[in-house]
Amino acid sequence: MWYIWDLSILLSALSLVIMLFLIARRVVQEHRDSAAADQRRQLLTALIAFTESRDKEALKAAVLGVPAGVAINAGFEFISLLRGEERDDVLVAFIECGLPTLVGKQLERGNVADRIHATEMLAALGSEEAWGRLLAALDHDRSREVRIAAAIALCDLGSLPLLGVALDKIGVAGQRSRRLIELFRRFPRSRFNELAVHASRVDAVPFVRAAAIDALARAGGFGFSDFFAGLTGDASPEVVAAALRALGHTGHPEAPAILARAMENEDWDVRAAAAESAGRLSLPELAAPLSRLMDDEMWAVRYAAANALLSSGQPGELLLREIAASEVSRSQRTASLILAEGPAA
Amino acid sequence: MIADWSQQIVLAATILSWFIIGAGLAQTAIYLLQLIFAGYALSKRPPVARSALLWHRYGDVAPPIALLVPAYNEALNVVESVHSMLALEYPNFEVVVINDGSKDDTLQRLIDAFKLVKFRRPYEEALAHQPIRGLYSSPMTERLFVVDKENGGKADAQNAGINVCRAPLFCVIDGDSILEPDALMRAVQPFIDDPERTIAVGGTIRIANGSKIEAGRVREIHLPRRLLPLLQVVEYLRAFLMARLAWSSINTLMLVSGAFGMFRRAEVVAVGGFTKGSMGEDLDLVIKLHRHMRDIRRKYRIQFIPEPVCWTEAPETLSVLARQRTRWQRGALECFFRYRSMLFNPRYGRVGFLGFGHILIVDVLGPVAEVLGYILIPAFWLLGILSAEYLLAFTSLIFTYGVCVSVCSLVLEEAELQRFPRARDLAVLTAVAVIENFGYRQLNNFWRVKGWWQFLRGNQGWGEMTRTGLGGAKK
Repeated sequence: MWYIWDLSILLSALSLVIMLFLIARRVVQEHRDSAAADQRRQLLTALIAFTESRDKEALKAAVLGVPAGVAINAGFEFISLLRGEERDDVLVAFIECGLPTLVGKQLERGNVADRIHATEMLAALGSEEAWGRLLAALDHDRSREVRIAAAIALCDLGSLPLLGVALDKIGVAGQRSRRLIELFRRFPRSRFNELAVHASRVDAVPFVRAAAIDALARAGGFGFSDFFAGLTGDASPEVVAAALRALGHTGHPEAPAILARAMENEDWDVRAAAAESAGRLSLPELAAPLSRLMDDEMWAVRYAAANALLSSGQPGELLLREIAASEVSRSQRTASLILAEGPAA
Repeated sequence: MIADWSQQIVLAATILSWFIIGAGLAQTAIYLLQLIFAGYALSKRPPVARSALLWHRYGDVAPPIALLVPAYNEALNVVESVHSMLALEYPNFEVVVINDGSKDDTLQRLIDAFKLVKFRRPYEEALAHQPIRGLYSSPMTERLFVVDKENGGKADAQNAGINVCRAPLFCVIDGDSILEPDALMRAVQPFIDDPERTIAVGGTIRIANGSKIEAGRVREIHLPRRLLPLLQVVEYLRAFLMARLAWSSINTLMLVSGAFGMFRRAEVVAVGGFTKGSMGEDLDLVIKLHRHMRDIRRKYRIQFIPEPVCWTEAPETLSVLARQRTRWQRGALECFFRYRSMLFNPRYGRVGFLGFGHILIVDVLGPVAEVLGYILIPAFWLLGILSAEYLLAFTSLIFTYGVCVSVCSLVLEEAELQRFPRARDLAVLTAVAVIENFGYRQLNNFWRVKGWWQFLRGNQGWGEMTRTGLGGAKK
């Protein structure tokens, strides 16, 4: 019996102690936050003054006069607003104040959010020390988000290891993140061949291959059109769809035949991608397969096909009107809906 | 003969007492488990990054989102709500307001405020719903669409919105709620980090009563001044920061709140959208998603993340709160019995055992056992069947444990969100965590038993939810 009472008393005491601790902690924190806000204001004032006076020594004194955390956060928030010479001058002052070392420590010892932020700051600082620390983070950090962020930062600094090596370090789980799309979009033109090699690796994750194709299509231009055309025969529907969309950006002499074939594919995403690209390339010879796709079982395919017809000029629009005026069917309904889009009469 | 009867009464009392104690212990074990899981999940979660950093980091790869806002008789709030939604910080989103046959001038207020014009937009009729009377777009912004349809209930309106929207992700939100400016950017993170597996994400719902609200934004956070919403603040903290965080950490989250949840459209369409006429359409949808994904044997994640916050107005009167709670109870029961084949079914793994086990113990048996306890245990004591010492000791344990659980959820709030700006607020909430065990908890259980009764009688009404509107300044 007494143990029940004891347990009750213990729970009450525990609750009381916890809450007293939390309240006391919050009071201390309020004081600290207020002090940090003042210091932040001082530093921002000094930074604004620096953009006018360019007095580096005064800025360094201000940076060194506030705690490292305040200097790092307020400082980098400020430089994100600057461009050109002003930004370079502020960065030089930050480097001379030893901020890269402090940020490097944050990259080693901070929590995940701090470490990701540290990679971005190191990319902005761009010192020798930054490269080393970012490479170490890509190598050893236990969080895949931090490893991806380190890879992006290294890419910005032009020091990313070979793509295959970097992806291995990021790990398989990290290769599902949409952040990789950002990494690939930042890839320098001189290293596009690495993206192409990775996109054609059948053992690689389809999502990553598709992202690589997308990045190449956006920035690579016509030079990769043969490569994209080759990938439209890949076994992975995700890769085929990406390659078809890429062809829609670059064009290709064989595009009409490739797209017509893809419109027969059993995967609806591939059919939709083919229709989308046909619309982008405005190929009149694809009017017939596109009109067939308007009877597709998937709405996304029907919608893409109808839009493709509409965007392929007057013949396509006429065909669409013809379908809309025909007997009631799935194609007819789709055509009517697409033609009616816009403000009501 | 009399001895025989008294023996049988004692036996029945013993069985009932053990049922009550058993249900109580099971609930206790569940709360303890939730605390452990939530604490662990929190220790693994990184502290949040600033909004500006999120935009810089994810802005280019953030997928398009459709914000679906069902509105029924929301004339009081709707214009301000839509303004605040249009001002959200997200690179690619559209707001689809669905006027569900409102009897007031909700639609007219929208037409006037945003100069809406009738618009034709082709859409997939993937989900069934009441007929749409018209679609409207605004020349003032490309982001806004209004769907005017015949009344069919919240689930029906949401299904119409899912049909009309074109984004791969949609976010449901109540018409009277306020999203924090960076809520979409935060809620979308799991869809960026793990786009293949993530199918749904829920955020935190907080109570806005008492806070200062201007132009559809929560400008200053204050605790409610009235006791009833204050009690609900602690309740919501427990529900979101403890229970949902815990279940999410083991992919057993059974509820993504209909007041703020983000879903992948394709999977929701595959399960038939929201179940029309359901009292708990949000719970129902999540259960359907679990069932579907497990049936087709695809890996998936349904996550709760605490940082994206949606502010809502809590009922301030007992009658409105009672209606809300009885409806929630009916919703839980309806879903439990509709999908009862999933309970302890090995095919559904931890969802069948832990998720449904939780609903069974906390929502199905919990309120009945607790109310029976309140009535029978003192009765047994009066009849001399139960010793006074045990009665007092167990009662004291139940209450102190309740206080301790609430306090632990305050710890989670303090460790994760710290949305209450003043130390004094913590002291007030501590007091509330104690007070709620004396009266409010019992009342809540009474409403839930009433919900049970209504469920058994087949009562399907939603009841009117009287709103005073968040748009006004501090209340």
